[in-house]
Amino acid sequence: MIAFFVRRLLQAVVVILLVTMITFALLRAIPGNVAIAILGPTAYRNPATIAQFDATYGFNKPWFDQYFLWLGHLAQGNLGYSWKLNQSVASLLGNRLPKTVILVGISTIIALIVAIPIGVYQAVRRNKAADYTFTALSFLFYAAPTFFVGTVMILVFADELHLFGPEGPQGGLVSDFTDWKDLTLPVVTLALVTFALFSRYMRSSTLDNITEDYVRTARAKGASERRVLIRHVLRNSLIPIATLVGLNIPLIVSGALITESVFNYPGMGYLFFQAAQQQDYPTLLGVLIVVAIATVIGSLVADIAYAVLDPRVRYVSS
Amino acid sequence: MAPLLEIKDLHTEIRLRRSTVHAIDGVNLTVEPGECLGIVGESGCGKTMTALSVMRLLPNGGHITGGSIVLDGQDITNLDDEAMQDVRGNLVGMIFQDPMTSLNPTMTIGDQIAESVRLHRGADKQAGLERAVEVLGLVGMPKPAERIGNFPHQLSGGMRQRVMIAMALACEPKLLIADEPTTALDVTIQKQILELLDNLRQRLGMAVILVTHDLGVIAGRADRVAVMYAGRVVETTDTTTLFANPRHPYTQALFEALPDKIVEPAGVAKRLYNIPGQPPDLTSPPQGCKFAARCRYAQDSCRETEPDLTYDVALHEYRCFFPVGEAALDAPAQDADAPTVAAAEAEAEAEATEGAVPVLATAPSVAGDGATPNGTLLKVEHLIKDFPVTAGAILQRRVGSVSAVADVSFEVPRGKTFGMVGESGCGKTTIGRLIVGLEKANAGSITFDGQDLAKLSNRGRRQHSGKIQLMFQDSYASMDPRMRVATILREPLVIQKQGSRRDQEKRIAAIMNEVGLPQAALERYPHEFSGGQRQRLGLARALVLRPSMIVADEPVSALDVSIQAQILNLMLDLQKDNGLTYLFISHDLSVVRYLSDIIGVMYLGKLVEVGPADDVYFGPVHPYTKGLIDTVPVADPLLERAKESQGVMGELPSAVAPPSGCRFRTRCPLAQDICAEQEPPLRPFTAKGHLAACHFPLREPEADAGAPAVAEKTTASGGQ
Repeated sequence: MIAFFVRRLLQAVVVILLVTMITFALLRAIPGNVAIAILGPTAYRNPATIAQFDATYGFNKPWFDQYFLWLGHLAQGNLGYSWKLNQSVASLLGNRLPKTVILVGISTIIALIVAIPIGVYQAVRRNKAADYTFTALSFLFYAAPTFFVGTVMILVFADELHLFGPEGPQGGLVSDFTDWKDLTLPVVTLALVTFALFSRYMRSSTLDNITEDYVRTARAKGASERRVLIRHVLRNSLIPIATLVGLNIPLIVSGALITESVFNYPGMGYLFFQAAQQQDYPTLLGVLIVVAIATVIGSLVADIAYAVLDPRVRYVSS
Repeated sequence: MAPLLEIKDLHTEIRLRRSTVHAIDGVNLTVEPGECLGIVGESGCGKTMTALSVMRLLPNGGHITGGSIVLDGQDITNLDDEAMQDVRGNLVGMIFQDPMTSLNPTMTIGDQIAESVRLHRGADKQAGLERAVEVLGLVGMPKPAERIGNFPHQLSGGMRQRVMIAMALACEPKLLIADEPTTALDVTIQKQILELLDNLRQRLGMAVILVTHDLGVIAGRADRVAVMYAGRVVETTDTTTLFANPRHPYTQALFEALPDKIVEPAGVAKRLYNIPGQPPDLTSPPQGCKFAARCRYAQDSCRETEPDLTYDVALHEYRCFFPVGEAALDAPAQDADAPTVAAAEAEAEAEATEGAVPVLATAPSVAGDGATPNGTLLKVEHLIKDFPVTAGAILQRRVGSVSAVADVSFEVPRGKTFGMVGESGCGKTTIGRLIVGLEKANAGSITFDGQDLAKLSNRGRRQHSGKIQLMFQDSYASMDPRMRVATILREPLVIQKQGSRRDQEKRIAAIMNEVGLPQAALERYPHEFSGGQRQRLGLARALVLRPSMIVADEPVSALDVSIQAQILNLMLDLQKDNGLTYLFISHDLSVVRYLSDIIGVMYLGKLVEVGPADDVYFGPVHPYTKGLIDTVPVADPLLERAKESQGVMGELPSAVAPPSGCRFRTRCPLAQDICAEQEPPLRPFTAKGHLAACHFPLREPEADAGAPAVAEKTTASGGQ
C-alpha cells in the first residue's frame, strides 16, 4: 500500500510539472503586453519604461528562461507577485483558497448525501413515476448553466422571499460560518448541479448491481430487501461514485468559478475570473497550479477510496 | 411419511413488456426427506424457474399464477415476503451456478456465511463467525479459521463454490437446491464438489434438488430424476429405471444425442442422434404435446391434445401417447400403439445406421506415423511458450513467467482429428493460438504442410493464416455485433484478397448451404441467431477460406446436448466432404473421444499422454489420464456408482512455479521421490504410437513398443 502511494505521488509530480509547462506556454501565447496591462494604456508611448519593466521582471528573456525562473521560485514556495493587486500570489491564495475549499467541500458533501439515497431509490423504483420525476429534475439541473441557476436562486430566495443573502460572505474564513445565511445560496447552487451528476451515476450503478448474482444469493439467504440494499448493493454501487467524485474535482472547482462570480464570493474562482480579465499572469498561473494540484489529489483520493471500497484492488496493488 | 416438498400443478409466468412467458406450466414434483431429486432438461425448459419458484426468487415480472408448493407441511405458495425470508436460507438453502459472481466481492466470506446465521438464529457477530468457521470446515475448506477474513477473489473457483455451499448450509436447511452447481467448474473440481454434496446430504440428512443439464452428473448422484421440457415435467422415475428404460421420446432423444454411449471404435464415427429444431417459444406454447414438433414418433393426435401423466409402475410417470422403451410387466399393455412405435423406431434405427459414416477409408489412425497415406499436415516440435508476469505500472519489471506450454511435440496427420484435453489452465488454448499464429513461440517449431511457420515472410504468414482457421467457444462474442452475417463471412476473403466481389458472394452462399443455414440469414445480425446457429456461423466463417485445418477451441462447450450433437455431426460431415483436419480442444473427454482419431492429454503445459483415441480412452497409461477419465461423469448410473477412483484430487498448481520433475506429481497417487527429481520423458507404450510421460505408468510398455533407453528406469510400476 505504501509503495503504491509513493508511486502515485511521483506520478503526480510529473503531471503537475507538465501542467505548469503547458499553462505557462499558453498564457504567454495570449495576445497583449504585460507591461502595458500593468503600466496603463499610455505606457506604449514610452518604450523605455516598458523596457525597464520587462528587464525588472524578466520579460525580456526567452520564454523558457522565464519558465525556469518561475519554476525555481515555485519550488521555494514563491508563487510570484501580482502587480495588479499589489500582493504576493501566495498570500492571495492563502486567503481565497480556504473559502473555495469550504464552498466546494460543503456543496459536494450535501450533493452526495442527497444523491446517493435518491439514486438508489430511483433504481429500486425503476421506470415508475418517482424515478421519472427525479430523472427529469436531475436532467434539468444538469443542463441548466450554473450562472442561470444561481441567478434564479438570488431572484427567488433573496429578492422575493428574503430568506437568504444575495451575496456570499465577504469576510475571511470565519465569516462563512457566522454569515451562514449568505453562504447558503452559493452552496445550494453548486450542490444542485453536482447532485444532478451524482444521482444519475448512482442510479445506473445501483441498477447494474441490483441484477448481479450475489444479490440473488443474499436474498436466498433470507435477507430482507432493505438489508440486501444497504449491506450488499450500496457498497458495491459506491465504487464507481468514488472515482467519479475524485475525477470531478476540477469540474466542481470550475463550477465554483461561476458560482463565486455570480455571488461575488471572494474565493479562488472569483479571483481567477478577475485575474483573467486583467491579464494578471502571476495570479492566473498560481490558481492554475492549485487547480492542477487539486486535480491530482482528487484522483489520488479516488484511487484510495477505490481501494478501501473494493478489496480486489487492494490486493492487486500490494 | 409426508414428502418434504410437494409441488402441485405449479404455473409460473414471467410478464414481459409485450408478452408473457409461460415458464412453468403445470409442474408436479415431490421430494422426500433426505432424497436427491435430479431435474434435467435443455436450457429454457423451466428447471431453474421451478427452483426459483420454490425460493420465490423469480426474476422481475415473474409470478406464480397457479398451483401450490407445500414445504415441510407448510403451504408456502402465498406466504408474504417477510414469512418467505424466514423460509429462505433457513428451511431451504440454494447454491448457484457461478461462484465468482454469486458471492459479494466486497464482503469477507466469513461475514457472508455468518449473515444467514445472524438472520435466522439471532446470533451476534462473534457467534456467527464461529459458526462460519464450523461450516467452512464441514465443506472441506482447509484452515477455515484463517480463511474467514478472505474475500471471494482470493479463492479458487472450487473453494468459492465450497463457500457457497457453506453459506447455504449454515442454518442446516432441510432442503438444498443446487442449480447447476458445477457447470462453471473444471471437471476435476466438479467431481470434488459433487462428492462433497453427496457426503453432506448423508451426514446432515437433508434433501437435495440437483438442477443440471448434464445427464452424467444426474446419473451418479440423484435418487430420482424429473425430465423437464417446455415448462413441464415429461418423465419422472428413479434414476436407474430412467437411464435403463426411458419411456418419453424426449428422454430417449437426449440420451442418444450424448457422445458417451457410442461404442464404435473412434475414427469410425457413428452419427449422434439429432433432435431437430429447437424448444418451443414459451410466450405462445404450441397446442398438444409440446415436444411433438421435434418428436420422431409424433402423430396427429399429439399435436391436438396434450397427453396426461401416464403411470407405468407407481413411480414411473410420463406424458406421452406413444411411449418408447418397454412397458413394465405390471403396466397395462398399450397394444394399439405398439406397432406404430416399433415401426417408427425401426425406421429411426435404419436412418441411424445409414448415417454411420466411416470418416476414414483407412484403418483407425496411427499417431505420429509418417507412413499414413496422406502424410503429416501439422508437426509441432519442442514447442515452448512462456508469458511474462510483470509488476509496476510504468516500468513493467518482469517478476516471473507463466510456463503455458513446455516442450510439447506432436503430429497431426492430414484429414484426421487430433483431440486435445486437459483442465483449464493446462495450455491447450495457447497451443491452438500458437498454431494459428496469434502468439509467437519462445522456442520450438511448428511445421505446417512442410513449411516452418517461424521462417515465413510476412506475406507467407498471411497466406498461412488462411490455411488454418479458428473456431471459438463463444461465437457470439467472437463476432462483431454490428456487422451483418454476409459482411462477417466475406471479411476473411477480403483480407486474403480472394476473388472478385461476385466470387466472394458465391462462396458465402455456398458455405451457408454447407453449414445448413438459409441464404436469408446473410442479411441478419449475430444476435438474431440461437446458440447452435451461431456456432454454425462460427464454422462457416472458419471454412470460408477453404482451410486445410481448423483449430476448434471448445466449440460445443456452451451448447445444450441436442445442439451439441447437431454441431458435432456437422463437423464430421464437413471433414468427410472437404478432407479437413481438426485440432479439437476440449475439456470434455467423451466429446473428444467421439470426434478424434488421436487424443493428446495436456497437464500444466506438458503433453503427458498421446495416442490413438481408443487406446488412450480405454487403456490410459498416465495416472492423470486415468484420473481425468474417472472424473468425467458418464450418463450411466451403474457405471457412475461403480467408480471407485476419486478421480484427480486437489487443484491445479500455479504455472508460475510449476512443480519440479513431473508436473503432475503433487496430485499423483503414485508419486515417489524420483518424480520430483527427474522429469519423465514421453516414451512409447505400443507400436501404434501410444506415448506417455510417467515414471510409474499404469501398465508396462508392450514388448514391440520400441523401447528407448529411458524405459529402463521404470523398475517399479505404481504399486501403492
